[in-house]
Amino acid sequence: MAEGDLRWYILFANYEQGLALHGLLSDAGIKNRIAPAPRAIQGELSCGMSLLLEPDAVEAARRCIEEHHAEYHDIVPLAGQIRSRRDKYC
Amino acid sequence: MKTEYCIGIDIGSTCAKTVVLSRDKRVLLQLLQPTGWSSVDTAEDIRRRLEEAGFPIEDGTAVATGYGRVSVPYADKCVTEITCHGRGACHIYGAGQLTVIDIGGQDTKIIRIENGAVSDFLMNDKCSAGTGRFLEIMANTLAVRPEELCRMAAEGGGVSISSMCTVFAESEVISLIGRGEKRENIAFAVVDSIVKKVSSQAGRMAGGQGAVCLTGGLCGYPYLRQSLSDALGCEVRTAEEGRYAGAVGAALCALALEKQRSAEK
Amino acid sequence: MSDYVSMWKDLGMDLESHDLLCQVLPTAVGDVFLTQENRPKGMDFWDLVISEVHGIRPKELIEEQKKGRKVFGTFCVYVPDEVILAANGIVTGLCGGSQFWVPGGEAVLPKSTCPLIKASVGARLGRTCPFFRIADMYVGETTCDGKKKAYEILGEDVPMYIMDVPQMKREKDILKWKDEIAAFARKVEEFTGNTITVENLNEAIRIVNEKRKALARVYNCRKAACLPISGRDALLMMQISFFDDPVRCAQMCNKLADELEQRIAGGVSVVPAGTKRILVTGTPLAVPNWKLHNIIETSGGAVVCEEMCTGTRYFENLVDETQTTLEGQFMALSQRYMKTNCACFTPNTGRIDDILRMVREYQVDGVIDCSLKFCCLYDTEKYGVSRALKEAGVPVLSLETDYADTDAEQLRTRIGAFIELLNG
Repeated sequence: MAEGDLRWYILFANYEQGLALHGLLSDAGIKNRIAPAPRAIQGELSCGMSLLLEPDAVEAARRCIEEHHAEYHDIVPLAGQIRSRRDKYC
Repeated sequence: MKTEYCIGIDIGSTCAKTVVLSRDKRVLLQLLQPTGWSSVDTAEDIRRRLEEAGFPIEDGTAVATGYGRVSVPYADKCVTEITCHGRGACHIYGAGQLTVIDIGGQDTKIIRIENGAVSDFLMNDKCSAGTGRFLEIMANTLAVRPEELCRMAAEGGGVSISSMCTVFAESEVISLIGRGEKRENIAFAVVDSIVKKVSSQAGRMAGGQGAVCLTGGLCGYPYLRQSLSDALGCEVRTAEEGRYAGAVGAALCALALEKQRSAEK
Repeated sequence: MSDYVSMWKDLGMDLESHDLLCQVLPTAVGDVFLTQENRPKGMDFWDLVISEVHGIRPKELIEEQKKGRKVFGTFCVYVPDEVILAANGIVTGLCGGSQFWVPGGEAVLPKSTCPLIKASVGARLGRTCPFFRIADMYVGETTCDGKKKAYEILGEDVPMYIMDVPQMKREKDILKWKDEIAAFARKVEEFTGNTITVENLNEAIRIVNEKRKALARVYNCRKAACLPISGRDALLMMQISFFDDPVRCAQMCNKLADELEQRIAGGVSVVPAGTKRILVTGTPLAVPNWKLHNIIETSGGAVVCEEMCTGTRYFENLVDETQTTLEGQFMALSQRYMKTNCACFTPNTGRIDDILRMVREYQVDGVIDCSLKFCCLYDTEKYGVSRALKEAGVPVLSLETDYADTDAEQLRTRIGAFIELLNG
């Protein structure tokens, strides 16, 4: 997967929901990573945590969510978030 | 397909230098052009010129260096200008033990070479004192070209500039002009300021064996070389190809890369 | 709407400015951490903490404050956490590591102050960091001139206690530091309303020692030729350990160390064999300062150790747990803390000994000695450090930088050239 490509973020109302789904997805072997929610898609949520998915994992993740009735706020695509040599620090 | 030549491209802040070397390290082509405002455009122009000269990029291995190195999309590899200037200087001066002083457009590097490889280096910090840019700005203020400024400096003396900061030094030069100081004397002060800055940097790398060599765009200015020799108390060598040292080094890196690739096949 | 926003409001924070800070953090975390493949699973914890850095832990601290506990904010690894813990206080690190806070600091401090101090003052005065709002008392110390004077300014805005750190390491200095710790203990008792006893101080000593041992276990894993964790991830763990509850910190670090030990046994490395191993030394890298590590590790190197306050200086050496009197415990604390080799001491040859030892222990190929701009102490020590390393035949690169992004390309050239030099 090239840097800066489209990725998907699962957003939550709070980190407890996020951690619960992180566990479910990981148990189901669906690759997902804990990541700070990009501010651009975070809206009014102040929960900082999101789960980051590669595009090929989105469908499996949706099925896993449905199966377990897992709580989440939204699943949003966003490009250009991850570049190792951008050198924009904070 | 076997590569018959290797290309080194050094995109500096002021000038872009390109060198094509044969597999036995003979120089087949040298190109020099201003970098301009876009290193991407410059890189594209270099690609076109190489093609016209009969060295299409596709048939050679290319390494890019210099601050614009990341803007050369067709390069097989990027190598820093420190490594390239070091290797290029070793090749040009035919020595394995060297101290290389490279006065570039926006930075000055002192590179220590032991056994043909870089063993240590120093670069000026975020400041243009002691660089080609400093010389250029002062020449502009005196309404002469940099090489004329260096020629004039040989005739002058008795004046000095105390500010290391280019902006402050420029206003010092302006007040010297306002005071009616001779241009030769001001030119002397400008070169003197660069020499002092560079030699104090070089002094921090003291203690190495072998000759001291100058590379970069200011190679062809005899007065600067002489002043630097006087300040360092040893002869500073220059060579005509000195300003191509980075590009030669990049071409040598390309050669090494090509050998490594064919060994892996 | 989650309750963090109302919490930040209650803390008197400047929400508008704070939101600007919240915008840049996810990008930096993505670029620095999520670009890495094959990270240890145990990093999940720190990914969560950094994602919620102004949420989870601040909320916990406020809950504890409601129960009557006091939060002490500290700026230096010389301030003994044990004394605060013994009195049922909570310690949180407060060093600012973001350029975001620097202009706020420059409004009251000279420009030629180090960015860590400027950012710390800016974070307080700009009201954009919950930790700086939550701390009931700040504990400063007389390590460098910049901090000493900045504490006078911070002290106008928040209760401030200053510990007088000796500048030499003679026997009388160790005694003096013991007396300083005892005086601090009285202040902490008065501020918390709790009495420090031999029993609760011993328990606190044990807790902090366990945390040190856990951090050391993770660092030990970085000594292996098979490198199981990147420098960036280890740095994040280290930075967060200044903010976390010490018992949980030890638990999480031990869990991570378990995984790393397994990785070593299974030959799982995060870098290709032959990647040059870099020791970084110098001034601390306060969270979220990741520039140096990111540039090194995206230029073909791997950071295997930090000889820094945010590194080995934080966890090396344990406090003697066998003392049976407060006097004996204070002395044991003084003896442990005075082993930390900070550039504010003279002479400080112990730091050079440490660096040479770590070069061997961590199988280091090259050392990057990096100080924050305007830190005269560490900048001056570069001379002796680089001489000692050159004598030992270890390549060294000396750098100076601040929190701004503007010198990243220049750092990339220097660090890239250094790694090319190591690769030969």
